[in-house]
Order: sequence, then structure tokens, then C-alpha cells
Amino acid sequence: MSYMMYVLLFGLVLGLVAVASNPSPYFAALGLVVVSGVGCGVLVSSGGCFLSLILFLIYLGGMLVVFAYSAAMAAEPYPEGWGSWPALRLMVGYVLGVGVAWVFLGEGWYEEDWGGFDGLVGVSVLRGDMVGVSVMYSSGGWLLVVGGWVLLLTLFVVLELTRGLARGALRAV
Amino acid sequence: MTPAHFAFSSAFMLGLAGLAFHRTHFISALLCLEGLMLSLFIALSLWTELFNLTHNSASMPMILLAFSACEAGTGLALLVATTRTHSTNRLKNLNLLQC
Repeated sequence: MSYMMYVLLFGLVLGLVAVASNPSPYFAALGLVVVSGVGCGVLVSSGGCFLSLILFLIYLGGMLVVFAYSAAMAAEPYPEGWGSWPALRLMVGYVLGVGVAWVFLGEGWYEEDWGGFDGLVGVSVLRGDMVGVSVMYSSGGWLLVVGGWVLLLTLFVVLELTRGLARGALRAV
Repeated sequence: MTPAHFAFSSAFMLGLAGLAFHRTHFISALLCLEGLMLSLFIALSLWTELFNLTHNSASMPMILLAFSACEAGTGLALLVATTRTHSTNRLKNLNLLQC
């Protein structure tokens, strides 16, 4: 089980290497989808199943879908993948950098580094992450109001940015 | 440093490097920013899980996700505005202030 956790963590780092090497945005969005899927696996392996589902729904199903079809603005006839020389040399460089950091920082990785967050000792109905999110509705009520207000404000910001017309700062016509 | 913390710390550094050394497209810089937010989300969730933090700090990843959705929306609106003004999202075209 901890071996699977190692595989998932490797997938996380290698997937983000694939995104950070800046290929064509189609491939970078694909790499980000893989990274978020693997990140969900990491969260589930650590016991945070509710936050993993939130990640899948909101991040993968909401935000990344929008990024995927916004990548149509970067359409080019020959999109360069990870086999092109600039992206490949960046990938190799990043993997070497992570390896060097691993040599310096990776000591004492034992079996007992993994754990989970249970409400009580033993089996519990209340998972730690679910109770924490429900705290947002009780003690963290003001935080919920502020978060909702920020989301509403962002809606108007986005509408103004894409409309602009004659007084928007980003239109030249 | 435990393996999980090394993993998302290096994931954060990689996303930051990808954002700093952007090449051609604006949207690939935005995607690296999303990778940064994803690594932060995983970091906050894992800290809550593995360190048995209080229940109050388990709402941090949700708030981070909400604000990162705001930021992604704003970034994409900037991308749309740039594409409508400059007809492309290549970064070499953003050269109006070039001397």
C-alpha cells in the first residue's frame, strides 16, 4: 500500500515536470489532468476521500474543462509535444533537478510516514476532512460569506474584462 | 523530509519554474499557475491528514480551491481579452511597450 503511495507521488512529480516543460497547451492540459488524477489518488491513500472527490469534481470537472477548451485559442498546425527538443531538454533538466534535491533531502524514508486523520482512535463515521469542511458552515460562517462574495466579485471582473468595449484597458479597437 | 512533503514541494517548485521560464504561449503559463494551486491544495490536505491538525484547519483546502477558481477565471478572461486584442496569445505579440 505504501508502494502505491510512492508510485502516486512519482506520478505527481513527473506529471508536473511534463506540464512545466511548456509543450503545446493541449499536452500541458493533458498533463495537468493526469496530475490532478494522481493527486486524488494521493489524497485517498492518506485518508482524505472527501477532499479527493472535491478535487475531482471542482478542479478536474470544472476548472480544467474550461482550460481544455480555452486551449483552442492556442491552436497551431504543428503543436509541439514532449518530443521536440526545447521541451525535452527542459524535462530532462527538471528531472535532474528533482533528482539532485532528492539526493540531498531524501533520507530516512521509512514505512511509518503514512497515516490518516480519524476522528477517534479506530473506525469512525466522521472523517477528519469532512468534519473540517462542515466547520465552514458553523464556526467559519463569515469565511463562507467572504468566499461567496469573492466569487461573485470575480464574476463581474471576468465580465468586465471580456467586455471592455471602449473603456476596457485591454481593447485596442 | 517525508516523501509526500518532498513530492508536493518539488511539484510546487516545478510549477514555479514552468511559470518563470515560459516559452511561447500565454495559456501554458496559466496552466503552470494551475499546477501551483493544485500542489498547494494537495499540500494543505496532506498536512491536515498526516499531522492530525484540528478540524478548523481542514477547511483551508476548500477555501484555497474557491480562490484558485477565481484566479483561474480571471486569468482566462485576461487570455480571452489578449486574444481578442492581439489576435493571438503568443507572448512575443505583447510588445506594445517595447522601446
